[in-house]
Amino acid sequence: MANTLRSYLTCIRNTLEAAMCLQNFPCQEVERHNKPEVELQTSAELLLNPVLICRNEAEKCLIETSVNSLRISIKVKQADELENILTKKFLRFLSMRAEAFQVLRRKPVQGYDISFLITNYHCEEMHKHKLIDFIVQFMEDIDKEISELKLSVNTRGRLVATEFLKQFV
Amino acid sequence: MILLQSPSRFLIQILMNRLQNLEKGVEMDCHSVEFDDVRYRIQFSTKEPQIMVLSMAIPAPPPETVFIGGLPLGAIEAIKLAYGGLVQILDPPKDGYNVTMKLNLSKLPTDEEKRHALLVKIASVREVVLGAPLRVVLKHLQSRTVAPDIDRLVALVHRPKESFFLLPQAEKVTVVFPMRFKDNIDTVLATSFLQEFVEARRTAGLNNAPPCLWSPSPPLELRGAPNQALTANAGFVTFVIFPRHVEGRKLDRTVWSLSSFHAYVSYHVKCSEGFMHTRMRRRVESLIEALDRAKPEVEKSKKTAHGRSFKRHA
Repeated sequence: MANTLRSYLTCIRNTLEAAMCLQNFPCQEVERHNKPEVELQTSAELLLNPVLICRNEAEKCLIETSVNSLRISIKVKQADELENILTKKFLRFLSMRAEAFQVLRRKPVQGYDISFLITNYHCEEMHKHKLIDFIVQFMEDIDKEISELKLSVNTRGRLVATEFLKQFV
Repeated sequence: MILLQSPSRFLIQILMNRLQNLEKGVEMDCHSVEFDDVRYRIQFSTKEPQIMVLSMAIPAPPPETVFIGGLPLGAIEAIKLAYGGLVQILDPPKDGYNVTMKLNLSKLPTDEEKRHALLVKIASVREVVLGAPLRVVLKHLQSRTVAPDIDRLVALVHRPKESFFLLPQAEKVTVVFPMRFKDNIDTVLATSFLQEFVEARRTAGLNNAPPCLWSPSPPLELRGAPNQALTANAGFVTFVIFPRHVEGRKLDRTVWSLSSFHAYVSYHVKCSEGFMHTRMRRRVESLIEALDRAKPEVEKSKKTAHGRSFKRHA
């Protein structure tokens, strides 16, 4: 199980290293505008082929690149009802703080749980390899956080139940 | 605090304060609200300094419960039994409240232990009033009998417009709680907690605890219950109480535990959500720190001998 996680993350890391070659590109359609081309999707010559990396049916990662911007969308594993609401709650919590994260997109792309938007400006401000480290660490952290939240709910449930039943003994 | 406590802290606080200086009269009119729509009103007047006027409002009962004079069955008797010569019930109760009673604090026993026990009992007026019908049923269970003229299925109020059900029999009493929550997240968390009850009883060596079951659909015991009582988004919890769970001092504890069961689960669901928020905030902080590490370090400006500084171009 841990093996697939390692190779999944390594694959994503390698793809990002290849994809993160962004440069400034002023908008072709409107004068004096500078927009992330991956969001507009208007000029085919500015977009690269999107890459979809699947760990299994439930987890996948879509990487779409363009000349000046890169969009990474992640779908996180949700095995049962509890994991479902925990994931939704946590990722909504993060998305609402997208301003603080800079590279996070406020709304995930349709069909995914969370999305990043990295532009050439981010690459100029931050080291490329550290940015990729951050994305990969983010993905690991989400998984860890969801399973820890689930564990804490189960532990608390067990404690609550035991204390209640002990009163009758 | 894991378990909900029966004596209200608000009442205990006021009682302790007043008792320190009972002869000196004060004018007091305090209100308080507790979980599940229970309200208290305490009044003292300078004309009769040792008399405390205590009014209590209880949650609105759904149609299937039996209320007499605005109070659950047996509540008046339970109050008189619990407080003895101290209490005088006022009829009608004050506006907006279900019961008003005058308590003569000068008649408290002088023995320290008995005095404290009675004060705690006064602060537990909620358990006395709301738990009265349940107490009657469980007292009969102590002697392995059933109360005369009681229905097969008894509905008792524990939350506004919601009730739980008892099936009293001679050798056991089955208690069924339909669990309802407004929020979707609350419902999922509560369902996971309630399933733990079944697990905990099995695995934690609590064989003497009441057998407990959870099911998403109404259990067979609820045959004949009104329809709106049969929908519950977090399932139905069933406890089977045996005589050994209500012998001696355990009776009061069992009455309180069962009366406040839904509030107990609700309280822990909310605590859980609060804890998750704290965790998520901490995780966000650590992720932002990781992102900050991605930024190159700001070049430190160096100083010349004359105190002028300059930035070095890399």
